[in-house]
Amino acid sequence: MQCVRCHGPLQRPAHATIDTGISLAVTALVLLVLSNVYPLVVMRVNGSSRETTLIGAAGGLHAQGFDSLAALVLLTTVIAPLLQILALLYVLLPLRRGRQAPGQHAVLRVLTQVRPWSFMEVFMLGAMVALVRLSKFADINPGISLWSSALFMLSLSALTSLTSPEQLWRWVERSRR
Amino acid sequence: MSSPATGRSLGLLVCLNCRATVRAVQAAHSRCPRCQARLHERKPHSLGITTGLVIAAAVLYVPANVLPVMSTRTLFDDESDTIMSGVLVLLHSGSWPIAVLVFIASIVVPLLKILALGVLLYSAWRRSTRRRLQRSELFRMVEFIGRWSMLDIYAVSLLATLVQVQSFASIIVGWGAWSFGAVVILTLLAARTFDERLLWDSPSHD
Repeated sequence: MQCVRCHGPLQRPAHATIDTGISLAVTALVLLVLSNVYPLVVMRVNGSSRETTLIGAAGGLHAQGFDSLAALVLLTTVIAPLLQILALLYVLLPLRRGRQAPGQHAVLRVLTQVRPWSFMEVFMLGAMVALVRLSKFADINPGISLWSSALFMLSLSALTSLTSPEQLWRWVERSRR
Repeated sequence: MSSPATGRSLGLLVCLNCRATVRAVQAAHSRCPRCQARLHERKPHSLGITTGLVIAAAVLYVPANVLPVMSTRTLFDDESDTIMSGVLVLLHSGSWPIAVLVFIASIVVPLLKILALGVLLYSAWRRSTRRRLQRSELFRMVEFIGRWSMLDIYAVSLLATLVQVQSFASIIVGWGAWSFGAVVILTLLAARTFDERLLWDSPSHD
């Protein structure tokens, strides 16, 4: 469906259920936790080794005083996705039983605001670029977190496209009746 | 092409928060009856704010490309890389697909975004009616490609985290990276503050 005038996409068809939304949100949350517990990459040079998790990836910027840049990296890879997932669960879990969470409207508004700021797919590609550059000088071993981050990226993008603001408000309206 | 009905011609507003369609006369205190978000026929001060953001991005585009994004310091030498020289290093080290990727994401995309937003703003200020469809498509492209410029920031961030003083070398982040990050954010914000419906508003409206 597209606009007759500007060919922009019109409202997408709705066949998702609240349960699908909740299960995807839980999946994404588990994968996000895994990505921050296990190392993303382990680098070995001359017997010493260094490693980092997803959340630690902004650490180098912070250590060198580029706090605003570190905050940007942290926001777009950890904070925005986490806020999105938690806000969704907060609204959807009560909604599944036909109840409205306290402060639902405000939470949904925050959700609409943070939704466009998760750039996990770009981060994964950026990680590839960094690893290719490093592989010339050091021994690079992908960690568990590299795989869980890739899965996190996939579940997050599925979740994002399933829970558009249109869809969320349709669920809210249905529960009001 | 006959002009189709629009929200404006029917006296309807769309809520940009929850996407509800509201009759303009029923929108009490210009709040959405469903989600209570503020309603506007067009995003307020869209052209002015977007123009400011694009100018700021265009100015910062210069240091983003001239200043080093990072320097690699080893026992033997100290080498600074701008975005472009980083691409050349990748190219010479044989990983040309990655070099092409970084070149597109870090050099082509930001430049294209600034130019495209400039064209869109200019035509919207002038209320031009030419090539509207193409301009709408241009805007959607700008929205779609915007985030991919973050690629190099993430790469530098990981490199700076992994390669630190105690190991064989250290990677020092440069102000080019900061400027580049600022360019990306400013253009992302500019695409969000721009109201693409302005491209279709006829000059008679005011």
